[in-house]
Amino acid sequence: MGEAAAYADYPSVRTRAMRRGARSVLVYLRTMAVFVVVWALVAHLKSNPVLLPSPLAVMQAAVDLARDLELFYHAWVSFARMLVSLAIASAIAIPLGLAMGLSRTFDRIVDPTIELLRPISGIAWIPLALFIFGVGNALPVFIMTYAGFFPILLGTVAGVRDVDRRLIDAARTMGVPQRTIVTRVVVPAALPSLMVALRLGVATSWTAVVAAELIGAPSGLGYAVEWYRELLMTPQVMAFIAMIGVLGYVCDRLARLLSDVFAPWASR
Amino acid sequence: MSAKGGAVGVHARALGLGFLLPASILVVWQALGMASGNPRTPVPTHVVSSAIDLVASAELPLAILQSLMRVFAGFAVAAAIAVPLGLAMGAFRSVDRNVDPLVESFRPIAAIAILPLAILWLGTGTAAAVMIVAYAAFFPIVVNTVAGAKGVNPTLLRAASTMGLSRLRIVRTVIVPAALPAIGVGLRIGMGVAWTAIVAAELAVGAKAGGGGSGGIGQMMFVFYAYSIELNRIIVCMIAVGLVALALDRLLRLAMRLAMPWSAT
Repeated sequence: MGEAAAYADYPSVRTRAMRRGARSVLVYLRTMAVFVVVWALVAHLKSNPVLLPSPLAVMQAAVDLARDLELFYHAWVSFARMLVSLAIASAIAIPLGLAMGLSRTFDRIVDPTIELLRPISGIAWIPLALFIFGVGNALPVFIMTYAGFFPILLGTVAGVRDVDRRLIDAARTMGVPQRTIVTRVVVPAALPSLMVALRLGVATSWTAVVAAELIGAPSGLGYAVEWYRELLMTPQVMAFIAMIGVLGYVCDRLARLLSDVFAPWASR
Repeated sequence: MSAKGGAVGVHARALGLGFLLPASILVVWQALGMASGNPRTPVPTHVVSSAIDLVASAELPLAILQSLMRVFAGFAVAAAIAVPLGLAMGAFRSVDRNVDPLVESFRPIAAIAILPLAILWLGTGTAAAVMIVAYAAFFPIVVNTVAGAKGVNPTLLRAASTMGLSRLRIVRTVIVPAALPAIGVGLRIGMGVAWTAIVAAELAVGAKAGGGGSGGIGQMMFVFYAYSIELNRIIVCMIAVGLVALALDRLLRLAMRLAMPWSAT
């Protein structure tokens, strides 16, 4: 242990790692700079600020929208909807997945229904859900819950199935009751797979929310993008699109963080 | 399948159990729908008769065909860019380092978020839909291709360069064949995403462009929602969306198995 610590402190190793980190940041910035310059040039040649505004105009729009807090308001609305949806989806999918993974009979009863519904994407539910829920919060939440449900369920089932039989048998041999086996053996062993599933759920529901809000919600990032398109305010449209990307990235990072906190042994 | 003696009985019982839940859901749905007294409430029997109507009048098959054409066009564009780019990124570190930031920056932007821009640039017709599909399918294909090209057994690479092959030849003769299964997975995921994206794009175009004649199954669903309020027909469309998704996935799996019999997926 002492040796490893000494090795980590060895100056050339540390500086080399730091230098490599600094270089990748530099390469990242360089690529994005090239992208922005090309964009600016094309925008300049096109000289049509509605079709293709310059990067500067988009920056300006983003700053203005941020100062009005409009950018953050819509981002928060979308984010909150996703949290609620994922909470509902997990609350149904995780217990269901545990039961399906543990009981063959239960799996045989439920699985065909799941497989019948799964190919119907969340987005295909939008017209029907629009009719049932109307325009409002309920529609995007329903669509996202539906979209997030399947990855979480399938990941849970796979995780439970992959639990090492010997662990369960060992616990049983030691006289551990079934309940405790589930909570102390099966759940921890299935946790890494569950966390991957949750990340997938975040990704699919994030894609679905934009579509749901674009069509049937009075607020949120998807709504804002479409609102500014109708006003032909392209810089604002692009600012909101960028926000969708940033928040999508943040959500993925958060899901990874969750995995590091709850299942630190799962990280590579 | 498993042709062991008792297996047939077990299979039949499992199938019976599997039918239990969908069948009871259908029965409860039918009973509730009939009890509600509202003739608009969709019930399974009406869904079936609507399905027969829509197929017989060729409306549904034509709409699906139009959507599929767009999916194939967008998918082809995506694959034509993503596969070579992914191979280059996987094979050459310098390409990877310089292009990866761009790919990773755009990847979290959901395809539908691009739709307003696509409408602005290309109108509400096929071109915008194809752009959305291409954007959606691009990322899974590129990411999987890069992973496949990077995951090539380094011993093979070293052997090839020991034998004095040029870098380009190594790409052609070692990296491409080794990355094929991963590319196949990327194409399959990309196709699934593309189909979801076309439905979303057509729905949104229908909703936001005043139901202009963009056609396709998504547009059709929106018309049933907004103009003629026919919930039975909407459900028929939903089922059709699911069936097409399933068929596309099976088709690509089959194609992969034929193209690469050595990889078991």
